[in-house]
Amino acid sequence: MSNTRMREDEFLEGIKSHDRRSLAKMLSLCEKDPETANVLLDKLEKKTSHVVGITGSPGVGKSTLISAILDKMNGKNVGVIVVDPSSPFTGGALLGDRVRMQSHATNEKFFIRSFANRGALGGLSPSIYEACDTFESFGMDNVIIETVGVGQSEIDVSNIADTVIVVLSPDNGDEIQMMKAGLMEIADLFVINKSDNPRSQILLSRLRAMTAGSKEVPIYLTNAVTSEGVERLVRALDSRFFQILSDGTLSQKRRKRLLNHVKSMIRRELDRLVQSFEIDGISPKEMRDHIIEELCRKKRL
Amino acid sequence: MIKVMIAKPGLDGHDRGAKVVAKALRDAGMEVIYTGIRQTPEQIAQSAVDEDVDVLGISILSGAHMKLVPKILELLKKMGSNMPVFVGGIIPKEDAKRLKEIGVVEVYGPGTPTSEIAEQVRKFVEHSNA
Ligand SMILES: Nc1nc2c(ncn2[C@@H]2O[C@H](COP(=O)(O)OP(=O)(O)O)[C@@H](O)[C@H]2O)c(=O)[nH]1
Ligand SMILES: [Mg+2]
Repeated sequence: MSNTRMREDEFLEGIKSHDRRSLAKMLSLCEKDPETANVLLDKLEKKTSHVVGITGSPGVGKSTLISAILDKMNGKNVGVIVVDPSSPFTGGALLGDRVRMQSHATNEKFFIRSFANRGALGGLSPSIYEACDTFESFGMDNVIIETVGVGQSEIDVSNIADTVIVVLSPDNGDEIQMMKAGLMEIADLFVINKSDNPRSQILLSRLRAMTAGSKEVPIYLTNAVTSEGVERLVRALDSRFFQILSDGTLSQKRRKRLLNHVKSMIRRELDRLVQSFEIDGISPKEMRDHIIEELCRKKRL
Repeated sequence: MIKVMIAKPGLDGHDRGAKVVAKALRDAGMEVIYTGIRQTPEQIAQSAVDEDVDVLGISILSGAHMKLVPKILELLKKMGSNMPVFVGGIIPKEDAKRLKEIGVVEVYGPGTPTSEIAEQVRKFVEHSNA
């Protein structure tokens, strides 16, 4: 842990009193020791923030769009989680999303935190649930999560976000063709960014054609650099939150998120156990029995 | 896992050096947050504290290091942080000496092997944790 350590009660007091430094340290705890973070989170009251996941291929403008969204979020408290990939070989990571959002770095209403995905299943951070809960405990009105944009991260973000924005851009080759299976299903809103590129109109009509007939997914055109269209998007997010809050969708989403949070906790335990096992001369079945026994024993401790 | 921030204050827009160091530290297995160019001391200090990094690296070529670096150190202190800070850039010897006197852990001139920086960053973190 970097510089001064914090004690558990200091964390709790700090988060309750909206101390920014405690938030920073708590998010580190989520990464370093998620089990302890979960114990602390249990003792904190949680606000229901609107959790918005933003996904789409690298380079479509997700980070720039978040910065433009923050510009229109005057008066609201917003936590931003940006995730970038770790190298599977060295474990190192270059986290560069912040570059696009630095104009907000000193805004006391906003808090931006970079995470490496650390090889997590699905491409989000292994501590994403704890980090999101931490922001909600801190009392954020909104939590925005930017995914890596490759692999399974799109699908994974729908396990935690109340609203998923899929961002496309016209300069990314044939985006529609490249659109992965599952992406249509998880999008609550589509954004075609880089509307300054004339080809965005072609992308728009193709996306319309593609989504015709299935559930109604609104499409927004934005220019994240000039902020054109961003205000409309922000208003749409707000009215969607109001809607899902009142029609029961939100509680469904929260139930799903809770289950996924629990699964990720169990998976962490399981990974640790499996890795610590001597596998010599033992059958898969025997190993399974041992591990389950071990899990139960641990629970009773 | 070591978390480092590489920040670039001041008005000059040359970030090749900063990026080379950032990539080298990543390749050495660290998580490196890059802030981009033209950052104010306030932006840098707040970002480093918010990201709770273990080490902060400041890259300066503009010549304004004697103004910018002390300011960043002062802000960090005010925010309750004592994270190690190193500086890279074209820094005259006497300035480097002065910067180290006020708390900078190391000053790297151009051409310092990145492997050396990576190795020392590990040491800074070990020391600050000790
Ligand atoms: N012309 C144009 N460029 C944009 C727009 N939005 C983002 N960009 C640029 O696209 C590049 C990638 O943006 P970034 O936000 O890092 O994309 P990300 O990888 O999806 O997070 C940057 O150079 C941005 O300046 C836009 O609406 N129009
Ligand atoms: Mg990005």
